[in-house]
Amino acid sequence: MMLSHVSSELRPVVEELTRRFHGRLGTCVAPRSNEIYFHAPLDLVSGCCAHLYRNWNARLVTVFADDARAEAGVFHLYYVLALDAAHGFLILRAPVPPETPEFPSLANAFPGVNWQEREVQDLFGLKLIGHPNPRRCALHDDWPEVYPLRKDFDLKTVLPPFQGERHKFRKVEGEGVFQVPVGPVHAGIIEPGHFLFSVAGEPVLYLQLRLFYVHKGTEKLFEHLPIAHGVRLAESISGDSSFAHATAFCHAVERAAGVDAPPRGRVLRSVCLELERLHNHIADIGAICTDVAFVTANMHALRLKEKILRVNEHLTGNRLLRGQACLGGVRFDWDASQLKVLAGLVAELRPEFAALVQLVERSSSTLDRLQTTGILKPGVARDLGVVGIAGRASGFDHDLRRDFPHAAYDQVKVKVPVYQAGDVRHRLRVRVDEVRESLSLIEQFIAKLPGGPVHAAVGEVPADRAALGYVEGWRGEIFHWIRTAPDNRLARCKIKDPSLQNWPALSEAILGNIVPDFPVVNKSFNLSYSGTDR
Amino acid sequence: MNLPALVLQLLLLLLLAPLVSGVIKNWKAKLQNRRGPRPWQVYFDLAKFLRKDMVISEHTSWVFGFAPYVVFLSALLTGLMVPMVHLPAPLSLFGGVLAVVGLLALGRFFLALGGLDPASAFGGMGSSREMTLSAIAEPALMLAIFTVAITAKSTDLSQMALSTQSATWKLLNPAHVLAFAAMFVVLLAETGRIPVDNPATHLELTMIHEAMLLEYSGRHLAFMEWGASVKQLVLMTLLLNVFFPIGLAGPGAGAAALGISLLAYLAKLLALSAAVVVVETTNAKLRLFRVPDLLSAAFVLATLALLSTFLFH
Repeated sequence: MMLSHVSSELRPVVEELTRRFHGRLGTCVAPRSNEIYFHAPLDLVSGCCAHLYRNWNARLVTVFADDARAEAGVFHLYYVLALDAAHGFLILRAPVPPETPEFPSLANAFPGVNWQEREVQDLFGLKLIGHPNPRRCALHDDWPEVYPLRKDFDLKTVLPPFQGERHKFRKVEGEGVFQVPVGPVHAGIIEPGHFLFSVAGEPVLYLQLRLFYVHKGTEKLFEHLPIAHGVRLAESISGDSSFAHATAFCHAVERAAGVDAPPRGRVLRSVCLELERLHNHIADIGAICTDVAFVTANMHALRLKEKILRVNEHLTGNRLLRGQACLGGVRFDWDASQLKVLAGLVAELRPEFAALVQLVERSSSTLDRLQTTGILKPGVARDLGVVGIAGRASGFDHDLRRDFPHAAYDQVKVKVPVYQAGDVRHRLRVRVDEVRESLSLIEQFIAKLPGGPVHAAVGEVPADRAALGYVEGWRGEIFHWIRTAPDNRLARCKIKDPSLQNWPALSEAILGNIVPDFPVVNKSFNLSYSGTDR
Repeated sequence: MNLPALVLQLLLLLLLAPLVSGVIKNWKAKLQNRRGPRPWQVYFDLAKFLRKDMVISEHTSWVFGFAPYVVFLSALLTGLMVPMVHLPAPLSLFGGVLAVVGLLALGRFFLALGGLDPASAFGGMGSSREMTLSAIAEPALMLAIFTVAITAKSTDLSQMALSTQSATWKLLNPAHVLAFAAMFVVLLAETGRIPVDNPATHLELTMIHEAMLLEYSGRHLAFMEWGASVKQLVLMTLLLNVFFPIGLAGPGAGAAALGISLLAYLAKLLALSAAVVVVETTNAKLRLFRVPDLLSAAFVLATLALLSTFLFH
């Protein structure tokens, strides 16, 4: 086993793990110092994940499958564990033979992977053993028995119109208990999702979510595009996180190719990520106020958001930073006058944002609505692996920018706001703190902006390389895992949007609250439908 | 009964009511740094609704189509019993303040039925919320008006206005101040304004009044909306002319006096609209279960007002 590649912080984990499992964990491959693969047998996975969770505080961030029947004669399951304290990822790769397409579920021990395991079952046809709720998830109940992410499923396949069983929601019964179906089509311009409330009067007893109405087969599409075109596709995974998703994709490709973005490109990348965070956080603060009918604050928030979007356009030619991400760095460099505009924006936003926060914080009627509403308890958040804003508001101290510094975050100190209360008020507060932090980060980045090119040539990426790209988007951590194929193409691209992780937490946060408080609780999470459905 | 007065007041109610809604919308937008729709946009909306086809759920009964007319007509009829620019009101013979409260309740009853009838989840929620809240709002309204009725020794609204007008003007009469405060809260609740309800929201789950209208379209919707704005105007007029009958033309007034009365009325109306706008822009909506607290406060104010009429008599 080659341990020389492994970072010094991860080495004790790897050594302890090898000892603990007497080398049964299989080959250890370390393509990058913070990304270690174990080729483990399937029956060891659950014990290994539990061990890492208990002893090393590892988080199971994503579970996915890869159809490697052509290359290795088996399906591969991947379990990505993040070790925040050791700043590294341990990835377990387990084979599933095609003749017995089934795998044991970890959802009882790790409820956070519930949906992801079912997604593997739906899209790859690998049967779950021991899952508490093994029903359809990513593909709806009326889909025929097809497995779209298997290689033998042609992208151009046209399926006959679906017939058969619609989804059966669980019944909640009792005197005076009613079901309130909401969606999938909603008022306002948002994407589809079905919420079934079981209510006794106004208090919510149970909330069932049904998503994946806009499943677009994005992961399959990546396998049919040249790698460079994937950047544009990644931008459209979740419209509000265009730059973060595209950058996570680029990050994965760069790691696979062994190319580093040049220093200036890395700094500009970080600035763009912060700009994306700024306009989304500020819009969310306004939207939360709108949902409790304090529209005045929203109007000010929208005004500030518009200023940021205009600067975005001035800097990159696009209000939502589309087209700015590219393999090897960022596409457009900024000259002195553009940097001055950016500095001007930060200087202008500081007092204006302070005024907006004051407007909200001094409105006692608004605070009354936000405090103690939609509480997500830290224990529940930890069990469900809730990430990003919602995780930090519920006591989960993590942030990829600090724990796994990507882009240029290794050059600055990122302050991460963490609260224990877990209510709407504190999800708002995390956003407020992060906006202030973003403004300060942008200033620091401008101050130490190095010269030189903004992107490096990536060239042809060697085939059959696996790499994990990661970015802390404004909503939470985004992962793109790729395996390359010959001719600069991808054999697999797994996309993990934070929304997929956080949706189930909404059902927990709303329990015991009243129906008219649901919109503001939902808004305080502000999860992406598109990023979840892909 | 004075037929020209009746026709004039009817026209005033029908034409002025949408404008008041429009003005409130426009001013709210201005206070929120928006340009906002023109004040007369509401007329165009109503005209559009009247022209449009109706989409009616097949699960509805006759109640669904009947409710809008009851809502609209009950609001209009109530309006004719409240003096607007001239004393006495055209229908003052009819029954006084009890009839006003009763007619408002009739309109609300059918509004709630109309919300329940299509059996959609949102309509049912809206109706249930409306009924819960009006169970407290209605007694507060009655007590507040009775306070004035006791001073005037009559339940006839014109008589009450006349008495407030002719009595030595006591603005700071504690009974009147308390009753006015109670009535103002009831006004906010009954017209579905922030902090009780949000008339501008698109969030079905938070709605009260709008939830009951979600299934309505076309002509039905026009009458529901128009009825709601007439009801709003009636309640505002009640508040203005019972508590501040300044400039209100008495019996047998000439054209000039009527003109002045109209101007005074419009000025008072705009002032009250401005107060509503300020409350709406500076407050968030209350949590639904806190609204009864607000309405109970109004009820307590009205009770205190009633008590103080005896105490300070």
